[in-house]
Amino acid sequence: MIEVRELTKRYGSTLALDRLSFHVPPGRVTGFLGPNGAGKSTTLRVIVGLHSPTSGVALVNGRRYAEISRPLHEVGALLDAGAVHPGRTAFKQLACLARSHRIGSARIMALLEQVGLQDVAHRRIGGFSLGMRQRLGIAAALLGDPGVVLLDEPVNGLDAEGIRWVRGLMRTLAAEGRTVLLSSHLMSEMALTVDHVLVIGRGRLIAESSMEDLARRFRRDILVRSPKHLELGGVLRAAGMSVSFGPRDALTVTGADTATIGDLAAERRIPIHELTPRDATLEDVYLEMTEEAADYRAGGGESR
Amino acid sequence: MIPTTPRTAPPRNVAAEVSALASVLDAVAAEWLKLRTMRSAWALSGGAAVSTLIGLVVIMSHVGSYDQATPQEQASFESADPAVAVMPLVAFFIGSLSALAITTEYSTGSIAPSLVAVPRRRMLLAAKTVVVTCVALACGVLFASLSQIGAVLILGDRPAPLNPWAHWWEAVPPATGTAVTTLATGLVALGLGTILRSTAATVALIGALTLVVPMFAHMLPEPVHLWVASVLIPNLAPQIAGADSAYLLSPPAATAVLAFYVVVTLAAAGLSFSRRDS
Repeated sequence: MIEVRELTKRYGSTLALDRLSFHVPPGRVTGFLGPNGAGKSTTLRVIVGLHSPTSGVALVNGRRYAEISRPLHEVGALLDAGAVHPGRTAFKQLACLARSHRIGSARIMALLEQVGLQDVAHRRIGGFSLGMRQRLGIAAALLGDPGVVLLDEPVNGLDAEGIRWVRGLMRTLAAEGRTVLLSSHLMSEMALTVDHVLVIGRGRLIAESSMEDLARRFRRDILVRSPKHLELGGVLRAAGMSVSFGPRDALTVTGADTATIGDLAAERRIPIHELTPRDATLEDVYLEMTEEAADYRAGGGESR
Repeated sequence: MIPTTPRTAPPRNVAAEVSALASVLDAVAAEWLKLRTMRSAWALSGGAAVSTLIGLVVIMSHVGSYDQATPQEQASFESADPAVAVMPLVAFFIGSLSALAITTEYSTGSIAPSLVAVPRRRMLLAAKTVVVTCVALACGVLFASLSQIGAVLILGDRPAPLNPWAHWWEAVPPATGTAVTTLATGLVALGLGTILRSTAATVALIGALTLVVPMFAHMLPEPVHLWVASVLIPNLAPQIAGADSAYLLSPPAATAVLAFYVVVTLAAAGLSFSRRDS
């Protein structure tokens, strides 16, 4: 369980986090979504004590991170896959962290095998691709078999197989009852991985909901195709729906659900060839929500 | 699949099961592993070894010149003291190695995973201090002993002023003094590295403290030169050893000055490390 209360972080004149509050319960994958510069990484860094908040608190299992003596057994974090000594081997990199918690070589080798790095365990990290470093970072996060897992942009640099593997891993960890917080600036990534999403922009929480609710909230309209589209349009309008006629046999309907349209058409024996609810894509939803909160935009430079 | 344990209950409090001492010892072991898995640390130790050898070659050449000189010239020869010819360079290399114990973590960003593993910053800095103390002291004793033993063997029974010691055992206090100043250089370097967070800046500063400033201090007018030179780290070695020198401090005063360097730098480092974001 992660709990963040009224977290504010100021770097000089820049307000990185602005009274941010949320909690992340165990047993589900929670996405932490926001544009670049929204404050996601800062929040994660405050949670694990790398940055101290200007005000507010971040608690893990009810305690500040620095109060935990053997934190790798409670919290695993991947903050920056590039933050490794390039001259060390993958095995030694994990061993340096594991030694502080008396985690043995067998666990390190098992993790390297599971993340697919067993063949390069004794090769220097300097020669690793970003994807390999991400896998090593995930192995480091899971060293202590922690109940809370924080991953900052874990799919960066991974190939399609790697992305699918991370998704499966996140879901397994959550299904085991762990608290999983996954940050990303890619809504499409979130849509496929997380159960619940926290949307952040300019250091503030913009929205918090389940992925399903988020999609529902931004449902746009229903596309209906029928050979008797003119007749059906009249029926639907008479039922109080907003209807616009599209090309050929298409209707675009808002203010109703698919079941009501289907029932009305059936009552009047009007054949329906297509009935498709059209949602805003999650990318659209995300861009709409974060539009005001984006720090930097192409062509526009710094927005503040 | 990843070897993890299903969590049907809240995670057990592992922290309660380990003592603070065990945590510190494990942090020290982790820091030792970090240092010895850095190639640059071995390269710098090699640099200290090579500079010891080069220093002995220089002494050998000095002795060769002495042997070919006339008695009048021999009477004005400078002493072949490895504390001057060898140990400042050794201290520079060991200081640089000590600085890397923290500056490498900042340059690679690996300070973040280190602090995630050991979030109590004073404990992490203490663990690094213990490792640097052991390494710098061991290297100081090793290279001071090797250089003194080498110098005693090269000098043989040649007299003063070339030979600084009438008997071999008189070489022990100066060797102890240089070993102690090498240790202090290492600790000061660790402290400076923690504050500066930059390998280049810290190594440059250590180079200035051990090599450049002592060299240029001679250019200062008397008695300022003597005051300044007496409190420079490399020059504290003969004063701590109570050896004959032109410097001003008694052994206890020289030891206190050396301790002052270490305590002030490490205290500032502790403050900086605890308060700044990483």
